[in-house]
Amino acid sequence: MPVDSFKFLPRSIAAYYQTLVVQKADPIPWTPLAKPVSEARFSLVTTAGIYVKDVEQPFDAEREKREPMWGDPTYRRIPRDVRQDQIGASHLHINHRDLLEDVNTVLPVNRLAKLEAEGVIGSLAPTSYSFMGFQPNTTEWREHYGPEVAGMLKDEAVDAVLLAPA
Amino acid sequence: MLAQEFEKAGLSTVVVTMMPYWAEKLGVPRTLGVEFPFGHAFGMPNDREMQMAVIRAALALLEEADAPGASRDLDLEWPQPSDEARKDWQPLEPSPIIKMMRDQAQARAQVRHSEA
Repeated sequence: MPVDSFKFLPRSIAAYYQTLVVQKADPIPWTPLAKPVSEARFSLVTTAGIYVKDVEQPFDAEREKREPMWGDPTYRRIPRDVRQDQIGASHLHINHRDLLEDVNTVLPVNRLAKLEAEGVIGSLAPTSYSFMGFQPNTTEWREHYGPEVAGMLKDEAVDAVLLAPA
Repeated sequence: MLAQEFEKAGLSTVVVTMMPYWAEKLGVPRTLGVEFPFGHAFGMPNDREMQMAVIRAALALLEEADAPGASRDLDLEWPQPSDEARKDWQPLEPSPIIKMMRDQAQARAQVRHSEA
């Protein structure tokens, strides 16, 4: 069965999404996987707006409350050995309950660590990344923060990234 | 969008998303579609088996996709009734933009009312 992208959306939001016009990337950027999954180094990226409490700041939800058409475009670093009780979330468009119970629902660091131990993947990099997915304007992501995080992933010798929009 | 920037920088990516409709429009390099509520791309909390099934499907796509725009849907049903799931993922308070849109709609309704 094909996935119904609108199954869990309220009708008003689904209708809004269907009216949006976007420019499709042409050509679609493409990097072939350089080595087998069992040898590749992985990292994870979520847009669930999570951060490590007492280490980095939450995303700026206060400004978004004042300016509803603005979303904090910055990112946070999530170490692979993060403990569940260190995870905070500042994303005003989703309920945080499930990810505060189990971060693997949005950023499966524990599952990738297991797959590393089993030899299914080569390794999980020390750092994964979190963004806050409400971005009415994606210029900062495309021109600044996206390339910046790409550079840091390369610095940790990452080959492949699993990304999950929230 | 981030995936496109990463691919340009020489990283291979898979986007696991509940909105493959949107991914197709943007031109995402590799897309695994999941019919899950927002904020749950890898499945239910504490359901290791479900989370692993999503990850393994993403890894298979990564290894097998041979052209940009590759897309696959995961055949895994969300275990909650959809009405319940539709409510559950949403924030307890409406987001600022939803609040703003509601206020604007109300203001328009009031104008219509006073003009009538």
